[in-house]
Amino acid sequence: MAEETFDVAACLDRVRQRDQAAARELVEHLYPLVIRIVRSHLPRRVAEEDLAQEIFLKMFTRLDQYKGAVAFTHWVSRIAVTTCIDQLRAQKRRPEFRWADLSEKEAEVLDSVLTSESEVATNDALAARELVYKLLGQLKPEDRLVLQLLDLEQHSVAEISEMTGWNPSLVKVRAFRARGKLKKLFEELQRKERS
Amino acid sequence: MKDFDARWQRLVVAARRVPAAEEAAAPYGFSTRIAARALGGPARPALLAVFARFSVRALWVAGVLALASMAANYLAFAGNEEDDQGPLDPVSEVVASS
Repeated sequence: MAEETFDVAACLDRVRQRDQAAARELVEHLYPLVIRIVRSHLPRRVAEEDLAQEIFLKMFTRLDQYKGAVAFTHWVSRIAVTTCIDQLRAQKRRPEFRWADLSEKEAEVLDSVLTSESEVATNDALAARELVYKLLGQLKPEDRLVLQLLDLEQHSVAEISEMTGWNPSLVKVRAFRARGKLKKLFEELQRKERS
Repeated sequence: MKDFDARWQRLVVAARRVPAAEEAAAPYGFSTRIAARALGGPARPALLAVFARFSVRALWVAGVLALASMAANYLAFAGNEEDDQGPLDPVSEVVASS
């Protein structure tokens, strides 16, 4: 994001004076950041544009609370992440995970991961990604988020702490617990495959 | 756990090979719509903002006070119940005195 070419502070000052042109510029500047978060944490059955709209409206509503203690993009990321978590929480409980829910390719990748030590083939990357999302979808929103940010997007604990507002110890504890739950899920899938 | 970690890491390493989606620009009209909805209405008076900020806290305080007053008056009610001889029954009083 071209933070250095966009004067966020000046734009915020204009937005606070209710300048709609500045508000439009701010939305356009932040849209790539917000939509990236929305797409990677998008709950089922929620349109990405609707969620992005909700995030931006929250951002404008809470603008008076922004005191500049953290970078504005981090502050907006936090709103985006918590809005996605709220949406995920609002959904009904996830159905039980079954082999039958997987596509042929995803089942193949899972079988290979569970039964062999070899790397997943490069041309199975897309299926692996879908599978990862389906497995993470079985976890609680907070657990899913922490593993997605740590393992899939490779953010550091400090970065996750800034994005979510959780302290670093909480991030580590949540990651540990989430891995434990995922491990149980793997064991269950292995049992189901054998039976 | 090590066995699981190795499996999980193999899976996420493969998943990470999917190229990241291109940075998307806001759809046409999106920023205008948001700006209009966010700033289009009249500015909220400061007094109303203060009220909105403190109303939830006030609700909690009111709840705590209500519980505290119920607890404080419970003993008085309980004590009264023991002393209570029941409602006055003039018919039975007449029957008893005759």
